[in-house]
Amino acid sequence: MMTPDRTRKAAGTGGATLLALWPLALGMVLFALAPAVLNQGLVFLAGLVLVNIVFAQAWNLLFAYAGLLSFGQAMFFAVGAYTMAAGPQQLGGGPFLGWLLIATLLGALAAIIFGLVALRRSGGIYFAVLTLAFAELVHVIITKTDWLGRNDGLVGITRPVIDLGVITIDLTRGDAYYYAMILGCGLASAALWWAGHGVLGRSFRAIRQDPVRAAFLGLDVDRHRLIAFAISGAASAFAGAMFAPWTQIVTPELAHWSQSTRPVLYALLGGAGSFWGPAVGAILFGAVEYATRTMHGIADITTGLMLLAVVLAIPGGVMGLVMKLRGRAAARSTATPSPASGRPQEQTP
Amino acid sequence: MTRSNDGYRFSRRTLLKSTAAAAALAPLGRLWIPGARAADNPITLGLVTPLSGAQEMLGSFVRHGAEIAIEKINADGGVNGRPLALEMRDSKANPAAATVAARELLGQGVNLQLGAISSPVALAMGPLMQAAGGVVLTCGAGTEKLNHEDYNPHVFRIGDSPYSRQYGLIRMIAERYPNITSWGGIIPDHEYGRTTWAIFVDAMLTVFPQVTGKQPEISRPILIPYGSGDYKNFIAAAMRQPFEGLYTSAYGGDAVTLYQQARPFGLFDKTKVLVDSANEFLVPLAMKDQSPDTWTGTHWYFKANQGNPMSDHLYNAYVERTGNHYPMGWAAEAHAAVYAYKAAIEKTGGDTKAAAIIAALKGLTFDTATGKRTLRAEDNQAVKNAEAMRIQPKAGSADGFEVTDYISVPGDSVVEPPRPGEKLELKTL
Repeated sequence: MMTPDRTRKAAGTGGATLLALWPLALGMVLFALAPAVLNQGLVFLAGLVLVNIVFAQAWNLLFAYAGLLSFGQAMFFAVGAYTMAAGPQQLGGGPFLGWLLIATLLGALAAIIFGLVALRRSGGIYFAVLTLAFAELVHVIITKTDWLGRNDGLVGITRPVIDLGVITIDLTRGDAYYYAMILGCGLASAALWWAGHGVLGRSFRAIRQDPVRAAFLGLDVDRHRLIAFAISGAASAFAGAMFAPWTQIVTPELAHWSQSTRPVLYALLGGAGSFWGPAVGAILFGAVEYATRTMHGIADITTGLMLLAVVLAIPGGVMGLVMKLRGRAAARSTATPSPASGRPQEQTP
Repeated sequence: MTRSNDGYRFSRRTLLKSTAAAAALAPLGRLWIPGARAADNPITLGLVTPLSGAQEMLGSFVRHGAEIAIEKINADGGVNGRPLALEMRDSKANPAAATVAARELLGQGVNLQLGAISSPVALAMGPLMQAAGGVVLTCGAGTEKLNHEDYNPHVFRIGDSPYSRQYGLIRMIAERYPNITSWGGIIPDHEYGRTTWAIFVDAMLTVFPQVTGKQPEISRPILIPYGSGDYKNFIAAAMRQPFEGLYTSAYGGDAVTLYQQARPFGLFDKTKVLVDSANEFLVPLAMKDQSPDTWTGTHWYFKANQGNPMSDHLYNAYVERTGNHYPMGWAAEAHAAVYAYKAAIEKTGGDTKAAAIIAALKGLTFDTATGKRTLRAEDNQAVKNAEAMRIQPKAGSADGFEVTDYISVPGDSVVEPPRPGEKLELKTL
């Protein structure tokens, strides 16, 4: 877990905020280098990882910051992806940035509608089960809706040409859309960081640690949880909206429960206690999936076993291990006690 | 021991971490694959098909068929002196996963691909292959859109079109069961299911009166969900319908579940003729002597092609590899796809670029396990025989069933005229 002192310092001034975002800047630069050194197939996979990073961070804003466990995050991702796919196809085009905004807002709207129903009625594991049920409902609705392509999904989603009046940006050519994804996902990640580390984020954490005390201190617990849910839903839908033109196909599997487990797995692998942990997890998970892609029939089992090994050996995920090692190093040099490792169990409400 | 307990645990974890990192990094040596991979000695074909999950069984036929063809071609000296190699990827029967795998292969320079046995996967491949300079030969995708409104020059259907499959089946129905005039259907609610039903009804209304002089009555189809484990309510609905002949295009594991659940309801006692569009031996292999008496459409029935050396070799090699005496038609389609690439590469003189291969495949006539077939230049659709077989349960036999009859209808007599870019005109769709 990031210590309160460091987050307060990081969020305190503009310069410090920028400084705290160095992993994001480094990540964006490394992703931007990919087309120069990797083949096209790997660049495509890198694009999927970019989307997964935002998806995982959006989930983790709920889990590690607001203390809400969502097993149905895929519904928001699907809302974004299907809006981007079906919107322009059914309504005869429209500006890409407009659809991106609509997709993001629809993700927030879906989260608010669901949150209004679920957050007031339940908490903890009951809430988690409700998210799962609601996502399954979205999945079934997609498979029954003609203009969403039913079970077959929608294909032939085109990549956009953005007309800004003075200049036109053609994202259909070469790696242009990939760079747009780096920019879009980078901005989304920065927005999530801001949401998690500003006043709002501190309120979320206060509620997670002790909702009764937070309410006593004057925080509207339900409203803050709803806001966290809306932000997370919007960011997940944004990730889905960036995903659709990249793969050029959307299918109902996007809303399937197995898709909802992905951000959970990324966070477990990378470490839910750190803001960058789920991003590290998404990258590592992508690498493991790539490495096991020819192990036909046993790829999923292998991935699962590796994940199990990581969770058992390093319960705080990769970033938890990094923090622990840093803590030890600091303890050795200053002979002061090390800070706590970011164990996901500590994050539960 | 002087080392602290904490320190010992730390070093063990370091070891764990290092081992995991080494395992993860081991395959990374293959990350930087130059685009000029195709210029290496072997010509690599990419195979994207379900190798896990519910459709794995169908995918395994595709895989064996392709591997048997490649082994034989290489044993006979390769293609223009170069051996063929196969890069396989699991589509997980999920269109998005299939396109990811296909793109990854394209990124490695593997631009000649085959597989794609499901309709949404095949439809998704067109724009993808066009953008990246690839070609794909589908080995069983049943949607009519492939060679009609969603025709794409980069996608070829190596197997029969859904139109020729249904027209072949209905010619058989009209000739063998002219008195069964009342028909119903249990249809999976997806692309393939809706397509096959629409063509079935169309063919029934066209061919049946022509052959028998009688007008068939067709009930509303019962649409069943895809991948569901419970079809009992749908079977109960079917029991209330007045049909004597039943047509179904439930597919793979869904079909086995449907048939198993339908038996106690007495659906097969009520049904005088059961016609299954595509499951071949899937249901009888699962249900043995409990399987219903069924006519099933097939891509390739080995006994119908006995004496054809390619068919005999495919059958013998398959049985030798797997011990299974009932290879199914998907194997023959993948086998044919590899031979199509061989013929096309020989035609181009070794050029494997998409444009050259597409030009070579268009109008290509080549030998396959079902005899000569031609890839129509206009719409990339193969013209091949429409085959079907009757499988009856046989208690006491080793397999619990036997094939008691089969047909093979010449492809050019049942295939629709080429109309790429235009919707298939049907009375009922």
